[in-house]
Amino acid sequence: MDKIKTYLKRFGAIMAQPVIATILGLLVGAVFIIASDENPIEIYQTMFSRSFLSPYYLSQTLTRATPIIICGIATAAAWRAGYINIGVEGQMITGSFAATLAAIYIPLPGPLLLIVSILLGMLAGSIYASIVSVLNMKFGSSIVICTLMLNYVANYIASYLVSYPFMDPYGDGISLVTQTIPESVQFVKLSTTNNLSIGIIIAAIVVIAFYFMERKTVFGYESKMTGFNPNFAKYGGVFERKVMLKTLALSGAIAALAGICEIYGSKYRYTDNMFTSASFAWTGLMAALISNLHPIGIFFTSIFLSGLQVGGQAIQRTSSIPIQMATVIQSSITLFVSAKLGVQFFSKWRKQKKQEPAKPQESKGGAETV
Amino acid sequence: MNMLAVILNSTIRSTTPILLAALGSAICSQVGVFNIALEGQILIGCFVSIVANYFTGNVYLAVLCGMLGGAAVASIVAILQVKYKAADMVIGTSVNLLTSGLTSVLLSTIFGVRGSFSSPELISLPKIKLPVISEIPVVSRLFEQLTFIDYLSYIIAILMFVYLYKTVSGFHTQSVGKNIEAADSLGIKTLRTQIIAVLVSGALCGLGGSVLSMGQVTLFTEDMSAGRGYMAMASASMGQAHPLFVIASSLFFGICQSAGVLLQNYVPSQLTQAIPYAATVIALSIFGWRAIRKKNA
Repeated sequence: MDKIKTYLKRFGAIMAQPVIATILGLLVGAVFIIASDENPIEIYQTMFSRSFLSPYYLSQTLTRATPIIICGIATAAAWRAGYINIGVEGQMITGSFAATLAAIYIPLPGPLLLIVSILLGMLAGSIYASIVSVLNMKFGSSIVICTLMLNYVANYIASYLVSYPFMDPYGDGISLVTQTIPESVQFVKLSTTNNLSIGIIIAAIVVIAFYFMERKTVFGYESKMTGFNPNFAKYGGVFERKVMLKTLALSGAIAALAGICEIYGSKYRYTDNMFTSASFAWTGLMAALISNLHPIGIFFTSIFLSGLQVGGQAIQRTSSIPIQMATVIQSSITLFVSAKLGVQFFSKWRKQKKQEPAKPQESKGGAETV
Repeated sequence: MNMLAVILNSTIRSTTPILLAALGSAICSQVGVFNIALEGQILIGCFVSIVANYFTGNVYLAVLCGMLGGAAVASIVAILQVKYKAADMVIGTSVNLLTSGLTSVLLSTIFGVRGSFSSPELISLPKIKLPVISEIPVVSRLFEQLTFIDYLSYIIAILMFVYLYKTVSGFHTQSVGKNIEAADSLGIKTLRTQIIAVLVSGALCGLGGSVLSMGQVTLFTEDMSAGRGYMAMASASMGQAHPLFVIASSLFFGICQSAGVLLQNYVPSQLTQAIPYAATVIALSIFGWRAIRKKNA
């Protein structure tokens, strides 16, 4: 019984910060909604009823959450080791583009093609991420800047490829697209009314696998140690460079899987700018930051953030509030979480309250708490 | 010959926003603050100056507002990252995302449009006509269409160099980045110095943003900063946070951008647009990543 109690207490302590931050983030959003002459309560009501509260919208939220969850894990895989990979978007584009081409052009029977093309895509993603780790090892180039720059490079090159060599002339006529991937590699659907596929199950598997990798494997320990303190890790016999290579390659492969799930699970073809306009990678990054890189946290946070976006689409249709309101709320939440302002304020206030009745011994108690 | 002058002219014009932001990045790294919110500071500068331009009709006031906007975003960094010691990467990336979303939301709130905003009522920055030089045939091409901010950016770089390397107060500022404990024991107000540096970087980025949205074109587009903040960081690190070296490294990025525009006539634009970004990666690798992140050294 006591065990459960302490467990609940710990859970409460972990959850307090994100919950306070979420409330504050929604308040920030409310300010801008009021500034746009709309009623925040009504807007939030539409937003949540059109994202979580009906089965149709809930499955849409989960569909959108799939790549976000996997991107969040890809981000966490690199960040927890101290390698700031903000190039998940580029790795996602490269990987899924490679997988799409493989699925279209390699003549193999269905199930085999599915496996081969996914593996090829993940390989492409991890190679793309490894460019940065090699540059960093050889020349000391910044991982932050290089990964970000390669996002643009990947998107523009993919944009070129989809405009010229691999363009489907019989596409949808609105945007530049590749051919559709064969039906044999398309993911099995879980819903008859929309695109929810087994991608969400793959995402859950990735989360669980990452959870165990983090806690139970030597590699998980090593990469955590380098994130903790590179010098200590070197001292303890961990080869920092090897860990960096492995970590970024892993992160890139997971990122590629995120893009693959989006294409194989719901879009079935690469469309120009499909990942940059939906900003899956950045939402995944925010999910990872809000949940302090914890995989289970990333899973649920991603679903919440995805809900904000799906709800944001709904309010964009019915009111003057654009979908980017979701980004404002998300990034405010991230800021509030990282600042720990809410919690600090809250705990200070509680301490002050506790101290008030015990004023006589204030001098001693005060010194301790400060 | 004329062609060369045109290329150089376009190089100068595309250098300015990067140079200003890179100087902002340099001043931050001189005081040991790793500021990656430059991107957001530039973007807000673009946006605020267009808004002020539209409502006041005064282009100089618009520039000032752009600088204030940049400093306002920088103050988030100053408070959370410098004062409350929150993780720099987290604050920087979320501030960048926040401004990206915020400008889009405000674009629709204020102007009722989505994506981009342009209007005939907007006034662009006046182009300066130099008295004697504009008479000389080829050289005049080199200096045409330049705004006062283009010239100002080089003056700011020189002033910053003089301040940091030739004055006592500048040495004190540098000492904060070199060894914060020692600076503290000397009686330098380290926290205040760092906060001021971050705010200055915000104002510089805001200035860069206003030339971006009111210089060559007069409009605002979503995410129009397009990675320039990160390029500026690369530029500052290549110039080792030294204002005069930063001029040189920023000119390199300017060349890449104008080369990208120029090559559009021969190569599909999707590929030329990738040039500045690929060049950043290559340049960073050639010149190495020095001590922009001093505190981890």
